[in-house]
Amino acid sequence: MPGWLSGDPLNGAIITITFFISVIIGKYIRMKRTSSGSPRKFIDQRINLFILFFLIISITLMGHWYVPMGIAVLCVLISTRANKFGDYSRKLIFPVVLSLFIIMIQSLTYGSTRIDLGIISVYKEGFEYGFLIFSRVFAATSLIILMLSTTSETEILDTMRWYRIPEVLIDISSLMIRYIKAFSSESRRMKQAQESRCGFSRSCGSREKMHNIASISGALIARAFARAEHVYRAMISRGWKHDFGSIARYRPLNKSDVLVGFVLSAGIIVMLGIDRAL
Amino acid sequence: MHISDGILKPEWVFFWFAITVIFVGLGIRMINKRIKEDPVYLPRISLLGAVVFVISVWHIPVPVTGSSSHPVGTPMASIIIGPFATVVITAIALFFQSFVAHGGLTTIGANTFSMGIVGAFGGYFTYRLLKKVSPLWFSAGMAGLVGSILTYITTALQLALSLNPDNVIYYWKLYSMGFIPTQLPLAFAEFAFTAYVIRYIYETGSMDKINTSCPLDRFTKTALMLMFSIISIIAIGAYIGYLDGANMAGTDGTVEAQAAPLASHEGIGIRLMALLGEPLGFAMVGITGGLFTGYFLSDLRRRN
Repeated sequence: MPGWLSGDPLNGAIITITFFISVIIGKYIRMKRTSSGSPRKFIDQRINLFILFFLIISITLMGHWYVPMGIAVLCVLISTRANKFGDYSRKLIFPVVLSLFIIMIQSLTYGSTRIDLGIISVYKEGFEYGFLIFSRVFAATSLIILMLSTTSETEILDTMRWYRIPEVLIDISSLMIRYIKAFSSESRRMKQAQESRCGFSRSCGSREKMHNIASISGALIARAFARAEHVYRAMISRGWKHDFGSIARYRPLNKSDVLVGFVLSAGIIVMLGIDRAL
Repeated sequence: MHISDGILKPEWVFFWFAITVIFVGLGIRMINKRIKEDPVYLPRISLLGAVVFVISVWHIPVPVTGSSSHPVGTPMASIIIGPFATVVITAIALFFQSFVAHGGLTTIGANTFSMGIVGAFGGYFTYRLLKKVSPLWFSAGMAGLVGSILTYITTALQLALSLNPDNVIYYWKLYSMGFIPTQLPLAFAEFAFTAYVIRYIYETGSMDKINTSCPLDRFTKTALMLMFSIISIIAIGAYIGYLDGANMAGTDGTVEAQAAPLASHEGIGIRLMALLGEPLGFAMVGITGGLFTGYFLSDLRRRN
């Protein structure tokens, strides 16, 4: 008789139960993906956002680097499989580089057990703590990039509305999204116009350049104020109202979505438990 | 300056969120009030939100701190639309910036506190203080400079409190020093930028559309001014004490010896403090005392 069965039945039972439950969940996920036709519709956006927030908070609670690093590696694999690695790595590089600096500064300043590396010596505790922060940043940022790259701003605003975020915040957010795009293209056009008038030529001193940049920015803001009023009047004339959005229009969460949310939340709690048990 | 997800401990995540939510709530209330009077205010503040987003998304990595440096834009926004509305648009801008991995979702509270609350209020008060005694461009520029520097000092404090709670002052200094090479030139650039922009808006007559009057009543304004003044005095005093080697030991010994030598060590206050912990205990004391004072002061004023 196998040793795990005769000597330690508890472990065997746990493995069996978790394996078969995972098989069932895996089958269910597969079915859901196939039926929806699009992998990103597999989780309802409302559940998606909740799970994302819950997972990130859980990651910050973890005391070991193993689980966060596991999540980060999984995210790398998913992004590669989904052909999003280029965009993912471009966004990820900045926070990862910054967290590498955290490892460096903590290793050099925090702790009591010195490790001599020849030219410099570092502290063991500082390195471990820095690496933990690094793994948390890596995992949390990877999750945000991956999950938000499959969600449009409109979907996020709809989700926020469902979560009873004040209507005025949603209105400002939706207008801001439009203005950011308009603002960027307008500023590019104005800068090109200024450049064509030699506003940024090499003969200009830094003071003059700063004056030109500020003039463009000031003009942009002043012009945009006028435009904001025109856009607003146009919106009003098309029947838009400030408190137009009504929560009643949102479809309720169906049972399967709630179930997926529950399973994922349970999974996160299990992960947290594993981290604590290590 | 944006702190990424995973850096702050959960208790600090919730702490900064709790403070920010109060200011955002007040901001929403004021915005709603303004929209009822002038509906065009909504697109106008959204526009300023877009400006803050564009200005603050441009960043330079800061090696020592594990954070980044960038112009903040919130002092300029607070001059144009007021500090409370600026807190709201900063929170939204930070939410959208987390999509491009600049900042994070769980750190929106902390980042809004440093950039939207400290940066905006610091800049706004500087502007209001200097406006009457100096030219408009200078007071606006100083608002940009002070707001920018205060934002980074606050970020350094947030990092030190969460990452190194055992030695906060040392790491606060270390992180603040880390920001200097990148942030100081940016703060001067922000001075020039804010000064030029506000002067341009004023000269072109667009300032007429901007209501810079403070929507707070006199009582609230006085209370807020007193709060900021006392906190500034405490901070300066603590820093001077630290430079003299006091090591932030606190005043417990002085109070016990001078002010309350006969106080019981078994009293309810001591026991509550031990139960709740000092920060929460003092917060409870502040809330209770504040509510009583506010309530009876209003009552007394009403009778008079």
